[in-house]
Amino acid sequence: MLQQARNYVYCAVTGLLVLFLAACGSSDEADRPEVGFVTNGIASFWTIADRGANAAAEAFDVEVSVMMPPDGPSGQSRMVQSLLARGVDGIAISPSDPENQAGLLNEIAQNTNLIMHDSDAPDSQRLVYVGMDNYEAGRMCGQLLKEAMPEGGEVVLFIGLLGQLNADLRRQGVIDELMDRSHDNTRRDPVDRVVANERYTVLDTRVDQFDFARAKGQVEDALARYPELDAMIGLFVYNPPQILEAVREAGKLNEITIVGFDEDDVTLQAIRDGEIVGTVVQNPYRYGYESVRVLASLARGDQSVIPENQFIDIPARRITADNVDVFEAELRELLSN
Amino acid sequence: MKKVFGILGVFVAVFVLTAILEPNFLTAYNLQNTLRWTGLFGIISIGAAFVIITGGIDLSTGSVIALVGVLVPMLLVDVGMPLVLVLLILFGVLLVMGVFHGVLVTKLNLQPFVVTLCGLLVYRGLARWLAGDQTQGFGSAFDGLRQLAIGRIPIAGDFGLPIPFVILIVLAFLSAGFLHNTVWGRYLLALGYNEEAARFSGINTSRMITVAYVIGVMTAGFGGLLFSLDVNSIQPAVHGNFYELYAIAAAVLGGCSLRGGEGSIFGVVIGATVLRLLYNAINILGIPTQLEFAIIGTVILVGVSTDEIVRRLAARHELKTTRGT
Amino acid sequence: MRVPGETPLLEVRGITKRFPGTLALDSVDLRVGYGEVVAVIGENGAGKSTLMNILAGVLLPDEGTIHLDDQVQHFTSVKQAHAAGIALIHQELSLLPNLTVAANLYLGREPTRAGWINKRTLRTQALRYLERVDLKCDPQTLVAELPIGQRQLVEVARALASNARLLIMDEPTSSLAEEEAEVLFDVIRELQERGVSILYVSHRLREVMSIADRVVVLRDGRITGRLAQESVTRDEMVRCMIGRSVNRIYTRKRNEPGPPVLRAERLVTRNKEKQSLSFCLREGEIVGLSGLVGSGRTELLRILFGVDMPMSGRVTVADQPVELKSPHHAIAAGIALVPEDRAKQGLILEMSTQPNLSLGALYRHYLGWKLLDRTWESGVTQEMVSQLNIQGVQASKPTRHLSGGNQQKVVLGKWLTLNPRVLLLDEPTRGIDVGAKQETYKAIDELAARGMAILLVSSESDEIIALSDRVLVMQDHTVVGELDHTELTERALMQLATGTAHDSHIREEKIGEAA
Repeated sequence: MLQQARNYVYCAVTGLLVLFLAACGSSDEADRPEVGFVTNGIASFWTIADRGANAAAEAFDVEVSVMMPPDGPSGQSRMVQSLLARGVDGIAISPSDPENQAGLLNEIAQNTNLIMHDSDAPDSQRLVYVGMDNYEAGRMCGQLLKEAMPEGGEVVLFIGLLGQLNADLRRQGVIDELMDRSHDNTRRDPVDRVVANERYTVLDTRVDQFDFARAKGQVEDALARYPELDAMIGLFVYNPPQILEAVREAGKLNEITIVGFDEDDVTLQAIRDGEIVGTVVQNPYRYGYESVRVLASLARGDQSVIPENQFIDIPARRITADNVDVFEAELRELLSN
Repeated sequence: MKKVFGILGVFVAVFVLTAILEPNFLTAYNLQNTLRWTGLFGIISIGAAFVIITGGIDLSTGSVIALVGVLVPMLLVDVGMPLVLVLLILFGVLLVMGVFHGVLVTKLNLQPFVVTLCGLLVYRGLARWLAGDQTQGFGSAFDGLRQLAIGRIPIAGDFGLPIPFVILIVLAFLSAGFLHNTVWGRYLLALGYNEEAARFSGINTSRMITVAYVIGVMTAGFGGLLFSLDVNSIQPAVHGNFYELYAIAAAVLGGCSLRGGEGSIFGVVIGATVLRLLYNAINILGIPTQLEFAIIGTVILVGVSTDEIVRRLAARHELKTTRGT
Repeated sequence: MRVPGETPLLEVRGITKRFPGTLALDSVDLRVGYGEVVAVIGENGAGKSTLMNILAGVLLPDEGTIHLDDQVQHFTSVKQAHAAGIALIHQELSLLPNLTVAANLYLGREPTRAGWINKRTLRTQALRYLERVDLKCDPQTLVAELPIGQRQLVEVARALASNARLLIMDEPTSSLAEEEAEVLFDVIRELQERGVSILYVSHRLREVMSIADRVVVLRDGRITGRLAQESVTRDEMVRCMIGRSVNRIYTRKRNEPGPPVLRAERLVTRNKEKQSLSFCLREGEIVGLSGLVGSGRTELLRILFGVDMPMSGRVTVADQPVELKSPHHAIAAGIALVPEDRAKQGLILEMSTQPNLSLGALYRHYLGWKLLDRTWESGVTQEMVSQLNIQGVQASKPTRHLSGGNQQKVVLGKWLTLNPRVLLLDEPTRGIDVGAKQETYKAIDELAARGMAILLVSSESDEIIALSDRVLVMQDHTVVGELDHTELTERALMQLATGTAHDSHIREEKIGEAA
């Protein structure tokens, strides 16, 4: 008994000591808030966001840790927990799997300021969402195809992953635009069903799980299966280059209309060369910048940065042969900063 | 041969079924693509088979592929080294890695699973660190070299034999020759069946096992070179993920026993072909991608079980005939 | 003092056990009284282990009955024998070294309370049984931390904890030091007084004399002697153990041995032993290596073949020192081994005859680019098949399907392709039929005639007697005697191997010192 009681006392004392030390540690740095910026993967897209986040950190005098998990949701929770353990003053995250990450998101919200970027989870206790409307971006993509191929035709979509809100919305936006449907971002067409109206037929959506070789293989398989195919849309950053590669090898550049998403170098070059009709780009630099700006203000107790609708819109842009050079120059300037 | 009946059956069944259900399967374009993927995955499967034949396993294949995929474009494009020098460095590094695996397994007596699992982690980490997690590629500057992966040798009409497949066939013949017609190959098979008896027959088993690991890493690296030339955009965190499992699956489908000894190169090539054929069939038949793994897993089980049943029937038959005489 | 019971605890009547090709036990009768220590002795392969295994429920007898307290028993499993009160203490200890002493004592029978192991009860009960075997150690000690002698006592305690009435001890002292053995004997005497009966199996005649109330001698599956304590003498025991008239199983023409080929100088084969051994093998000579199980014969062969390293000492072949770091070093020096375990060490069972025959010589015979020399391979296969009369060889037939005798010929043939200078044979005729044995003897004889130096290990003394020019007798990892073929008799071998001459001499000295 006595032994047990003594153990409890030891525990209590050690715990207090740790708390005390932790308090000392954080008070040392109290003048400079620390915030976390968590991505949903590793890509050059996120490297640009990293630049934006760091630029804002400089401008608003905070420490920022940019974390890129290589392994999706499990990596995110690992990184979030280490950030929380460090006692950061705010976290901006792009949840890979919002529905199943509710627990993790709540954990953040209870401990510190939680905001989202790139991909939203409206049901969580996030304070604000910084990003574009993926549904609208998808529709923009569909619009590009409509303009390039007004007579209609058969389309296949390629995407890295489904089940993630921004991916689902993006795909649905493309389909709804092609089908001339009303704006309703809650609609979902099943993956294995052909969707068609009198002009456009969306035959299939192939998912590659980020395996580039597989992404290319799936384009080839689609070309083989649908010899009459008219168009392909690649919805993740690496999809358009892989589509381009496979179509070029098949010698079908003249037959297939390609629409891309995001701004891979290869995609931009192909737009300049007329091989890809256009792409829809986000503004990852602004995601990073705005996220850190908001978190910095929140850390200093300033709630005014949060808009009424809890949405800071960083609109997507369409890039075609007309503005590709301007855009690339802009991009280069951003990265050189 | 006996051990590949089942998988040959699966091959024919999937081929015929897919061709009937989807006539476009038989187009020159689709067959070419399937052959190219078969070539790429077949090459790394042969390397896996050599290690499996000694009773070991190589889990590092996918990470070796990623490391090569990062290293080659960096040296070639960013550093601007001449191709020959890059290849020398590449195969030098691969040799050291293979010897390292072999020495850890034979001299320190570590389990192959552990050694190559650590290889899987270390090489992946190195690849990501070297590239700073940035996507690597050859751009459009090395189109000549890239023909190794995407080129074709025209045969008839618009059908051409993809070069990776040609490489696979050449490599398969060389490997089969090595395994069945050289002293070293004989040693590998012998020690795979019974390492102790092989050592008691005067075979330097440590050296031979190391040779197997070197072959494993070298072919993985060579395959990795072709993979990187093919996709031309290598994301070090994901490039080649799980490829070791495809390679091991192909070797096992082709009749290699994870207990060692058994295995034929012909079987491994068939195994790799069946795997690629399945992927192609799933996509071309429009089966939802979500079912992919489930289908492939089922087919591997069916193939391997059929082989086991055929083998037992044959053994029973043999027993009857020997008793008869 | 000792009061051997009037009605026997155990009575065995007419136990017979056949194995393919041999009659292991032939109508054996045995009685063990309450609190009696009965020793069972005999040569290697006399049937001792078979008998013990039948009593412990490991093997089923073909004929005969086992009675415990006049009740007929049919043991079909170790568990049943155990429940009836018979416990076998193995030669190789069967404790789990990573568990505590207490856990080992009650393995599978842990005292529980509501499904949880009751540690307190476990501990107090364990202490009680440890006390009974005079073992003063904490029941929470890991078995791995105990010295080997104490582990043996834990085994005894475990048997007692399971309420054993008859302990069967198979060579219990083989791995014990002298003092540890003495402790064990004291424990045995104490147990005896409590009424526990003991069946004691041993090679060591001196031990048997000091501990047993009665001695039963087995030979070729039959009981050839029953000696009461008063009449137990070494000579009497040895007489019963060999007894049989020696019929020459093979007659070889002897030739004058040539110059020495292999010399072993002061080899120490085992850790912490002071014994070393030196000997030489001459060209064309067959030297038998005799000794009981555990005397270190196989270990010596393994060292000579480079499988294990000696603690110290050196080996020369043709006056050149050789470094025996591995079998391929030994082979390069001209030393070959036909190992004891064909299936594990001799053959690649999954491969056919040809690759097995050529495997050892491939390092010499190959074409450019290390290509296999198939012409040489098939030539040498034909040569060996006809020279050794190997039956049933087919090109694609794995050696697994050959008979034991033919498998052994393939192993022998593998080394003949290399024509080594020294051939080590470990139990070359184990498990093969009579006809094949004769052919193997003939082959060995011919090899010696060709000038090969042969070291032959065999547990069958008639084999050693028939083939050897000279015999080295080993005991406790050292050579205790050497016999020329003119002085070779089974009796002489047995006396040397059981230490009748040597062993008693040493032991008596020690006893003298103690007194």
